[in-house]
Amino acid sequence: MIELRQLTKKFGDLVAVDQVTLTIARGEFFAVLGPNAAGKTTTIRILAGLMKPTAGQARVAGFDVQTEPLEARRRMAYVPDFPFLYDKLTPWEFLRFTGQMFRMSEGSIEGAARLWAARFNLGEYLNIAIESLSHGTRQRVALASAMMHDPEVIVLDEPMVGLDPHHARVLKDILKEQAERGATIFVSTHQLSVAEEMADRIGIMHHGRLIAVGSREELRLRSGSEGALEQTFLALTAEEADLAAAGKKLVAPEPGPVKRV
Amino acid sequence: MDAGERALSASGLIAGREGTSLLWALLRVNGLQVWRRLQGLRHQSKLLTLLVGAFLGGYLTLAFGLFRMGLRFVGSFPGLGTLLVERLMFLMFAILFVLLLFSNLVIGYTNLFRNRETSYLLSLPVSFRTIVQWKFIESTLLASWAFLFLIAPLIVAYGLHRNVSWHFFVLTPLLVAMFIVLPAAAGAWISMFMARYLDRRLFQATLALLVVLVMAGVAFWLKSEPVAEELTETRALAVLDRLLAKTAFTEFALLPSYWLSSGILQWADGALATAMFYGLVLLSYTLFFGHLSFSQSGRFFYDAASRVNSRASAFWRWSWFQSWRLRHREARYTEQGIERVAGWFSGVLNSDTRALLVKDIRLFWRDTAQWGQTLVLFGLLGVYILNLRHFSHQLTNPFWIHLVSHLNLGACALNLATLTTRFIYPQFSLEGKRIWIVGMAPVGMVRLVRTKFWLATVGSLVVTLGLILLSCWMLRLPLERMLYFAGAITLMTFTLNGLAVGLGALYPNFREEHPGKIVSGFGGTFCLVLSFVYIVASVVLLALGSPWPWMGAARAAHAPTELAWAAFLALSLGLGWVPLRMGLKQVERFEL
Repeated sequence: MIELRQLTKKFGDLVAVDQVTLTIARGEFFAVLGPNAAGKTTTIRILAGLMKPTAGQARVAGFDVQTEPLEARRRMAYVPDFPFLYDKLTPWEFLRFTGQMFRMSEGSIEGAARLWAARFNLGEYLNIAIESLSHGTRQRVALASAMMHDPEVIVLDEPMVGLDPHHARVLKDILKEQAERGATIFVSTHQLSVAEEMADRIGIMHHGRLIAVGSREELRLRSGSEGALEQTFLALTAEEADLAAAGKKLVAPEPGPVKRV
Repeated sequence: MDAGERALSASGLIAGREGTSLLWALLRVNGLQVWRRLQGLRHQSKLLTLLVGAFLGGYLTLAFGLFRMGLRFVGSFPGLGTLLVERLMFLMFAILFVLLLFSNLVIGYTNLFRNRETSYLLSLPVSFRTIVQWKFIESTLLASWAFLFLIAPLIVAYGLHRNVSWHFFVLTPLLVAMFIVLPAAAGAWISMFMARYLDRRLFQATLALLVVLVMAGVAFWLKSEPVAEELTETRALAVLDRLLAKTAFTEFALLPSYWLSSGILQWADGALATAMFYGLVLLSYTLFFGHLSFSQSGRFFYDAASRVNSRASAFWRWSWFQSWRLRHREARYTEQGIERVAGWFSGVLNSDTRALLVKDIRLFWRDTAQWGQTLVLFGLLGVYILNLRHFSHQLTNPFWIHLVSHLNLGACALNLATLTTRFIYPQFSLEGKRIWIVGMAPVGMVRLVRTKFWLATVGSLVVTLGLILLSCWMLRLPLERMLYFAGAITLMTFTLNGLAVGLGALYPNFREEHPGKIVSGFGGTFCLVLSFVYIVASVVLLALGSPWPWMGAARAAHAPTELAWAAFLALSLGLGWVPLRMGLKQVERFEL
C-alpha cells in the first residue's frame, strides 16, 4: 500500500506539493489527474525516492521511502514518463539486467523475462538494440522490466503515452490483473478515460494540493456536474481556482481505506 | 552470448551468475554498451574507422617525435640538461593534476547529478553507495582517458631518452593509474559539496571563477620578465635560475604529482628503492582516498542529489531577482537588445532570416557550454598573444618572427576548427528536431543553412581576425604583413565554417539530441580530420610561399608566393566552398 502523510515539496518559494495526505490500499487502482504543473510528477518522484520531501512522509508497502529506501524500492515498480533505457542493449538483456538489480534468482529472471516479453508482445524485438525501437516499443520494454520482480506497488507516470490502442488495452488488462492479485497501483494520467474506466478512486491535484479524492460517482456528486469525468474535472479545478482567488482552499476529505476489487 | 559478452566474460567483467553484485552488473552492462558502440563505429563506416585510426596513430607518432626532439634539445643544455628535463616532468605532472581535478569536478557533477542513468538507478533497490561507486569509476575513466592519451607519447619519449629498461614501461602505467584516483576522489567530493550548496548557475559561475583565478595566478606567477639580449648570452645561468625558482612549487613534497614524477624519474635513474618509496606513498594515499570515496561518499550523495533536483534558482533569495522574474512572467513582450539590433538590418534581411539569426544568437548565449568553451579557448590564446610583447623584445631574428606569426595563425585556426566541429557541425541535425516549425516555414531549408553559415562565419571572423591582428601588432609586424595574415585567417574562417555547415547538412543525424553524440559520428569525425588537415596544409603552404624572407635579407629558395597562394585558394575552395555547395544541394532535395 501507499501512504502519504502531509507530504510537502517546495522548490524555492514555489510549493509544488502542498500537504498531500492520502492512503491507497492494497489491491486498489488509484488514478491521479490534474492540469500541467499540478504536482503529480513531483509526488511520484518523491514516492520513487528520487527526491526528499520538504516535509511529511511517504511510505510504500509499509516502508518509509526516505529512511528505508531499499526495502521500499524492492517492493515497488516505477516507470517515469520518459523512462531511461540502455540504448545499446537489447530488450532481452535489459530485462535480465533489471532482474539482477532486483536480486532475482537466475531461474526466475528467465521465467519473468519470457512472461512479460510475451505479455507486452516484445517477442520479435527481444534481440534488437533498444536504440532501433520505436517510442511505443521502448515504452513497452520499460513496462515489462518494471513488472519483472512481481511488485507490490506499481507507480506509473503517464504510462499510455506512445502506446497504440492495442497495447494501451494490453496495459490496462495487465494493471487490472495486478490490482486483482493485490498490487497497489498509482497512475498519473491526462487521459480521463483511463481513470474513468480503471480507477477505484480518483484524485485531482491542482496547484500542489489534492483537491478531491473519491470514486467516479463521489467526485461527480461533489462537483455537482452531471456529465462525464471531464466535466467533473473541469468543475472541480475551476472551483478550486475560484477559491484560490478568494484566498481559500478546497480541501480533500480525510481518506478512508477503500477496497473495491 | 555475442562477441562483446564473450570478451567481457573473458576479461572477468562478467562475474559468476549467482551472487553477481550490483556493481559488477552495472560494470558489465555499461562495458557492453561501450563495446557495442565501438562495434557500431566499425560497422557504420570502414572509412571512419580508418580515419580515426590514422588520426590517432598520426597524433601518437607526431607527438612522440616532437617530445623526443624537445627532450633531446633541452637535455643537451650544457651542465643543466638533466635538471631542466626533470623540472619539465615535474611541471607537466603538476599541470596534469590541476587539469584532471577540473575535469573530474565537471564530469563528476554532471555524471552524479545531471544524468538520466543516475535517476533511473535511484528508483531501483540499489544502495546510494553502489550508485556512487559506479559513477565514481565512470567519471574517473571519462575525465582521465584523454589526458592519459595525451601524455602517453611523452612518457615513452622520456623513457627512450633515458634509455630505461623494459620494466619502466610496466611500472609507469601503474603509477599513473594510482595517480588518477586522487584528482578523481577530490573532484567527486568537491562536486558533491558544490551540488549540496550551489545551484547549477552558481556552480558554473564558481567553476568559471576558479578557472579564471587559477589562470590569473599562473599568469602572474609565471609572468615573463623582459631579459636583455646580453643577459641571455652572458648570464644564462642567472636567467635559468630565475626560471627554475618560478617552477620550484612543482616539487612541493605534498603534491601527488610530485610523488608520481619522483617515482618515474627515480625509476628511470635506476634508483629502484627510492622509486618504490614514492610508489608506495602514492599507493597509500590512493588507497586511503579511493576507499574513502568508494565507501563513504554514498551517504552524502542522496542529500546532494535531492537538493539538485529540488532547487529553485539560488537568486530567488534576492528580492530584485524575484521582481525581475515576475516582470518577465507578464504577458506583454518587450523587444530585447538583440532584436533591436537585428531590426537595424530590416532593409537588408527579411523578417524570417532575422528571426533565425536572433534565435541562434539567443541559443548560443543561453548555452553555457558553447560560449564557455569559446571563451576559454580563445581567451587562452588571447592571453598568450598579449604576452607576446615580452618576447618580441627578444624576437629580433626574422626567422622567429616568421615562425611565431605562422604558428599563431595555425593556433587560431585550430581553436576555430575545434569550435566549428563541436558546435557548428551539429546545428543542422539539431534543427531537425525543430523541423516541424522551421522546415515548414516559408524560409526554406536552403536559406536556413545559408543563414547558419553566415552567422557562424561573421561571428567567428570577429574573433579570429581580431586575434590575428592583435598577434601581428604584438609582433610589431608592418601593415602589409598584417593584411597578409588578415587575408589568410579570413579565408580560413570561411573555409572552416563552410566545411562544418556543409558536412553537417550532408551527414545529418536527426535521431540524437545531444550534440556531442552527433559530432562523434562519421560526419563529425570527418569534419574534424579534414579541418586539421586543411589547417596544417594551409599553414605549411603559406609558410613556404611567404613573400618575406625567413632567414635574412635574401629570399630563401622555396615555393613562389603565387603558387603557394594558388594552392591555398584551391584547398580552401575544395574544403570550404565545395562541401557547403554539396550540403546546400542535399538540403534542396531534403524530404520533410
